[in-house]
Amino acid sequence: MGKRKHKEISTNSDRVSSKKDDNEVVLEPVVNSDEPPIKQTKWTNKQRVLIFSSRGISHRARHLMIDLRTMMPHSKSESKMDRKDKLFVINEVCEMKNCNKCIFFEAKKKMDLYMWASNCPRGPSVKFLVENVHTMSELKMTGNCLKGSRPLLSFDKAFDEEPHWSLMKELFTQIFGTPNHHPKSQPFFDHVFTFSISDNRIWFRNYQILEEDGSLAEIGPRFVLNPIRIFEGSFGGATLYQNPKYVSPNLHRRLLRRQVAQKYVNRVQSKKSLEERKPEFTYTSDVTDDVFVTIQPEDSKQNG
Amino acid sequence: MVDFHHSSDSEALDSDEELQKAFAEGRLKSTGLNVEVAPPKQFINNVSGMKQKLEEIEQSLDWTERLDLTNDPAPPPGGGTEPTEEGDELANNDFKRELRFYRQAQASVLIGLSQLHKKGIKTKRPEDYFAEMAKSDVHMKKVREKLLEKQQNIENRDKARKLRELRKYGKKVQQDVLQKRQKEKREMLEAVKKFRKGQKNKLDFLEEKDNKNKDKGQKKDKQDKLHQPNKKRQYKNQKYGFGGQKKRSKLNTKQSSADMSSFNIKVNQGRPGFNKSKKVSCIDILSVYIMKL
Repeated sequence: MGKRKHKEISTNSDRVSSKKDDNEVVLEPVVNSDEPPIKQTKWTNKQRVLIFSSRGISHRARHLMIDLRTMMPHSKSESKMDRKDKLFVINEVCEMKNCNKCIFFEAKKKMDLYMWASNCPRGPSVKFLVENVHTMSELKMTGNCLKGSRPLLSFDKAFDEEPHWSLMKELFTQIFGTPNHHPKSQPFFDHVFTFSISDNRIWFRNYQILEEDGSLAEIGPRFVLNPIRIFEGSFGGATLYQNPKYVSPNLHRRLLRRQVAQKYVNRVQSKKSLEERKPEFTYTSDVTDDVFVTIQPEDSKQNG
Repeated sequence: MVDFHHSSDSEALDSDEELQKAFAEGRLKSTGLNVEVAPPKQFINNVSGMKQKLEEIEQSLDWTERLDLTNDPAPPPGGGTEPTEEGDELANNDFKRELRFYRQAQASVLIGLSQLHKKGIKTKRPEDYFAEMAKSDVHMKKVREKLLEKQQNIENRDKARKLRELRKYGKKVQQDVLQKRQKEKREMLEAVKKFRKGQKNKLDFLEEKDNKNKDKGQKKDKQDKLHQPNKKRQYKNQKYGFGGQKKRSKLNTKQSSADMSSFNIKVNQGRPGFNKSKKVSCIDILSVYIMKL
């Protein structure tokens, strides 16, 4: 069965009545074929997201980025940024591409993946550490959805409790939510993005809506965001929030290695202490004790 | 424990002057070991700044433009109790965590779709609407094959397990039969030995025992039972028949004391040990036994 694009072509060429409700269609008695057909409804919420990464990114992170671009029709891609450029260059890149939001992936040591989510000209930006990445192409993710359909966004109740979570929630709504009547978007609602808070981290899941009664299948990708800092400006500026429970991955690895090393250090120390505790003589013996020992006849027989 | 901070002109803290100064100020403990403790780290949490920023970026848009929902997870099926694990334990318990996310998505879907329906927006994709999907056909085919393979594996494992159990059972039955045969052989030999040594006078172990005897006995009993008189007749016979009631009759009569049916010569008059007069040739017995086998 082939899949072909099914475009909705509206035959409404009425431009004068734009002040009326956009859903209403009023056809003129005479239609000019020279005039281009106007889309029935207009795309007003102009959100454009720039998704790109730095160099040195792993294959899993690259696939994650590609999956995000597939899921968000209002996204734009950009080639890899050199690491020696400072971060505020990204603002200029965004302006050139006419984007007002940005998701930037940064990989350090080819192991740790950081994600910046920011509102480009002036707004806040957040830096996250990305963990537990699973991409859409894993065979355990069995769901599928229309490419570019608008997602429902589901947030945990905990997002309303703290101001830093609320700020992140607003940012996510504007970044991940596909704008209404976007030209690349598809009409029906068949998937839902879930953001939940657990263990001071944000867990992201993407489910396909199988039936209207609520049965779901996971499409992917899935990842965990560990917030590090919230900045006032885009990719810079004063820090608004710092996560007290955040442990940098370097520190984490160092602590692990130290724990393992502790075993060896303990063993060496215990050996040393044994040596020190061990006495040279088990008990004091007098050399003169041998003097008055009489040799028994059996012993003398052996000699003689 | 008193912590003392670095001096502003960064002198060595262990110098005597510094210590004297700190002691004079009362920052040092008089007993025990004074250990330098780092001041507690301050984490920035600019609540007002964040709220201001939130107001700045907030857009006054219709819900249909944003499509965001904030809700609790839907109640679990069956039991209405929420699992009470929080934070760390939940994050480590994979299954429960994923279930919680799933239920949260379910609740959102139910609320969101109903709201969209109220606004008259179509949410369900019709069957004949063909469009590009996020995952290609080839990929979905692979996914389906993987699922089938998993199911196939489970079925195969079940079949193999059943076969193994059947074999074990069959092996057990075989062992039982062998054991039974060995037991019979052992018993036969013992009976032969006993007969040789004169402890038994009958050669009844040579005949095929048990089952056939039982059958014959059962048949006889059955025949008798069929031709019994009526219950009422039996009762009357017992009470009044054959000379009347036996309950209050004499016990030690001339007849009863002369009764020799419960006398066994072997038990009452035989010598202790074996009876020598009952020796039969071994060869006869063995030949019969072998032929029987």
